[in-house]
Amino acid sequence: MIRNAFSRALVAGRAGFLQLAPQSASVAGCRHMSKVAESDEQLTARYVQYFESKDIDHWWLSKHINDLAGTDAVPEPDIIKACLHACRRLNDIAMAVRFMEIVHFKCGNRVKEIYPYVLQEVGPTLKELGIPTPEELGMDKPQLALEDVYDM
Amino acid sequence: MIESWIAMATVTGTLLRRCSRLSAAAAPLSTSARALGGGGLPTVVERHGNRMVIGYGFNGEPNYIDRVDYPIPAVRFKEDNAQIKVLREKERGDWKKLTKEEVQELYRATFCRSFAEMQAPTGEWKLVLGGTMLACSIAVWIYLFMKVFVYEKLPDTITNPEKVEAQVQRMIDLRMNPVQGIASEWDYEKGQWKN
Repeated sequence: MIRNAFSRALVAGRAGFLQLAPQSASVAGCRHMSKVAESDEQLTARYVQYFESKDIDHWWLSKHINDLAGTDAVPEPDIIKACLHACRRLNDIAMAVRFMEIVHFKCGNRVKEIYPYVLQEVGPTLKELGIPTPEELGMDKPQLALEDVYDM
Repeated sequence: MIESWIAMATVTGTLLRRCSRLSAAAAPLSTSARALGGGGLPTVVERHGNRMVIGYGFNGEPNYIDRVDYPIPAVRFKEDNAQIKVLREKERGDWKKLTKEEVQELYRATFCRSFAEMQAPTGEWKLVLGGTMLACSIAVWIYLFMKVFVYEKLPDTITNPEKVEAQVQRMIDLRMNPVQGIASEWDYEKGQWKN
């Protein structure tokens, strides 16, 4: 009797597995995530959309720039252009210069490969808006020294 | 001695000046400060003066700090004075008409340090290296002191070569560590060390 029940349970279990198998194979890739992973193109499009929105203000601009600075990536030229235009609409050239510095910083160890490419892509926009790069301003090297608060 | 007096006087003077400046700046007190009987330091919101609050600070408060991982602080670095206001009016127009000095000035009004300045070397490594080496040399002097004045001489069984040799011979005779140790190095048939 017990053996009978056992074997039946086994059969039922196997059947259940067989039915589930094809489904679980397709779901396995993202089962542990609550959201589908975002592709690079989607991320770029999202940020371009953020920066191009007409009702952007300083709060949202700084939030998106800070978020970008927190990612482990260099912003795409499309994002940079959109951000520079957003700075222009908000009449904040300091933010635009700062953003170019952020891009330079985000290039990390491969700054010699990536930064010239970025400048080549974004150069026309910089010229059009009249934004000087940090290098043109001489800000790629330290200009002012700040006294340490512990030495005051 | 005199120098330390001067240093103390300078520190006291700076503190006093800061306190007087704070009390002057704290004219409109916050509700909470007034409820607690007035006086005291101004709240963080009152301290940013008429600086423009740009966004959300790294810890949610309207404060300024230069960070590479959170590069846009919550408030502008400088308050708007007359000169900056003129520049801001000019900033509304074509940016090509701004000179580099004006752009610099606008940048410095919003931010304190540029990225290059944030990442500039501080030279602190020299202090750290010097301190470490100082500590190491003190340890060496302590060792020498102990060696000369505290510990007794090494025992005879270590310093006398004859006794050391006899001890090694005894280890070989007892066949100690025959697999990887001393006895495995000794050739018992020829009565000498293996090559």
